[in-house]
Amino acid sequence: MASANSETVTRIAGIIINELKLEDVTPETFDGDLDLVDEVGIDSMDLATIALVIRDEYGVRIDEDDYPKLTTVAIIAAYIDTKLAEKE
Amino acid sequence: MSEQEYKFSDIIAVPAIRERFEKVRKYFFLRESTYDMSNRCNIRCEGCYYFQGDKHLFEENLNVSDWQQHMRAEKERGITFVVLAGAEPSFVPDLCKTCYDEIPLGCIASNGIKVLPREIDYRIHLSVWGNDETSLEIRKAKGMLKRQMENYHGDTRAIWVYTFTPVNIDEAREVTKKLAANNQQITFNMFSAPVGYDGHLKHTPETLARTRLVMTELLQDYPETVIYSPYNIMAHTHEQGLHDLFSCSYPRMNPSTDIGLGRSFRQYRTDLQWDRAAACCVPDTDCDDCRHYAAGSAVVTARMYRHATTPRHFSAWLDYVDTYLAVWVKGYEKGKNLCSEMVEPPEQC
Repeated sequence: MASANSETVTRIAGIIINELKLEDVTPETFDGDLDLVDEVGIDSMDLATIALVIRDEYGVRIDEDDYPKLTTVAIIAAYIDTKLAEKE
Repeated sequence: MSEQEYKFSDIIAVPAIRERFEKVRKYFFLRESTYDMSNRCNIRCEGCYYFQGDKHLFEENLNVSDWQQHMRAEKERGITFVVLAGAEPSFVPDLCKTCYDEIPLGCIASNGIKVLPREIDYRIHLSVWGNDETSLEIRKAKGMLKRQMENYHGDTRAIWVYTFTPVNIDEAREVTKKLAANNQQITFNMFSAPVGYDGHLKHTPETLARTRLVMTELLQDYPETVIYSPYNIMAHTHEQGLHDLFSCSYPRMNPSTDIGLGRSFRQYRTDLQWDRAAACCVPDTDCDDCRHYAAGSAVVTARMYRHATTPRHFSAWLDYVDTYLAVWVKGYEKGKNLCSEMVEPPEQC
């Protein structure tokens, strides 16, 4: 998977911060390489909620089978960029 | 607007849906594992999943200190909800109390013959397999329902779990009526065949359809007593089992250890060991025939994404989750079902 557009990384970080109500971090300062499960503490239901917000914003459906691969903001952003490029 | 065009934000903009979503979302932190507490039981039911396989052959660990350490380690790895089951937890109340002291959210599955001390403030699931005549035949125990109702009279921990088999479908009416008269609650389970079982308790398309009718009737007639929803009925009486409909996410059927149940769920035997290859809430059940209530509580609940396609489907899913929480979490009050019709489960995304 190609590396992600930095705008997408920032926007995904914003979605995660908003959905998880994270404090003391902004989309710009969020480390896109943090492991979302081990280091941020999200679980499958959080990820499903985030996937739904992403679907709304980008029109990209995330396959349930792909959830386990989406371990960082950078990976999610690259996944979305790839899906958007496939649509063009 | 076609059914495919809804955004999630549109769906949760409906006030009743948003309110229910926010209500259930507070419980997304629940991470369960299950624990066999003893390898003994005072009854022997036909088709009991516990005595299938080799689970009952492992030694009991009756050491309170070991259990305390075990629960602390479980808490440490993120477990927030325990299910104490097999074979009969009421034989080891001190171990149950130890679990409760360490992890205060949980549930105990019991046959209800021996009462669990009040200080163990978990939800208690009392198994009922028909009226007392049928129980005697299948479970070889006299006056099961009568004894359960006496033991747990006025006890808000208790909820009866009626397991529908082909031979007790119509008896659910008299059992529900009795429980309603005593202000007690009931929810429904489906007999799910253990691996290799081909006896008369296994459901057929005809018995699934009859069960669906009786469940629907009881939900309508006893809305305060029956903790269930039309979508529960659909999911558990469908000709396809839960795995075919929703792709079971328990480790036994899910190799991924990255997130969700595949990562955190364990099913411990009485010796406090576990085996990933056997790990699900009802080990030794035939996965193709699994319509078990405990399995559905996790498997259907985990599939939020695929239900967020229309307000109708999402409402049905919320009803299911609301039911699951009311059945498993003591003190959680179920709301009125949002979706009164039986919607077909959505296909995998």
